[in-house]
Amino acid sequence: MGKNLIFTDTEVAFLRELKRQKVEFMIVGLSAAALQGAPVVTQDVDLWFANLDDPNLRKALKRVGGIFIPSSGLNPPMLAGDSVKLFDIVVNMHGLKSFSEELLTAEMVRLGGVRIPVLPLARIITSKSAVGREKDRIVMKVLQDALKSRMALAPRRSQGPSGRLSRSKAG
Amino acid sequence: MARLLTESGVSRNAFYSLARKDSVLPNSIRAIAARLGVRTSDFLQDEDVRIAKASLLLRKVDKITGKYPDVDRENAKHTLLLLEEEPVERLRRALIRGQKPDIH
Repeated sequence: MGKNLIFTDTEVAFLRELKRQKVEFMIVGLSAAALQGAPVVTQDVDLWFANLDDPNLRKALKRVGGIFIPSSGLNPPMLAGDSVKLFDIVVNMHGLKSFSEELLTAEMVRLGGVRIPVLPLARIITSKSAVGREKDRIVMKVLQDALKSRMALAPRRSQGPSGRLSRSKAG
Repeated sequence: MARLLTESGVSRNAFYSLARKDSVLPNSIRAIAARLGVRTSDFLQDEDVRIAKASLLLRKVDKITGKYPDVDRENAKHTLLLLEEEPVERLRRALIRGQKPDIH
């Protein structure tokens, strides 16, 4: 039964280890959108790190049996090992502010007992609009509808500039 | 009684056939309930709960599309259903669907 599951304790253990080692990161892309209720499909979990040279990232990887493979030629850096094969490293987030600025408005989502920062839906939309690939355009309508669905059912909250749902001053 | 049956479109034979029985529920339902140790009415209540949940979901979809007419009802409905799940389950669903090679 457990073997059939995807994103099990193995993957959660890596996220937990990143938190434990105080590595600054957040989940971005369609997996971030899915975590916020968007009915989308994706093949991997994109991670955006503040600093890929952070030695604690290597330490976290080592603890779960993964390794960091630096970029070479046209190949971007990647993670290798069974425990981290679902994760992808995102080097550039187009259309967004710096990592530290985006982190301030990240949604905190509980995954396997740890609170993980996740790029808000509105910022995912902004990023995908900036990139403008065909696969981004295809999924845009679903992302926008998911965001509006959340906003419509949160009457006492308003959409902040980051897209994060925050309490309204008027509310 | 005759007027009620007429207006309901139920024949007197059908009514008295039911009235003579110990229960209007099929024996199979009563047997399952007895085996499970629950009341037969629990099955009916379960259905009521499902209907109530579905109605609430559709009302929420109406509210969303009322506020944002351009929102696709299916997208809104699936978003609401996913928001009822734990975040890790939402992610699993997205990944499972994303990794099936035969999805078109």
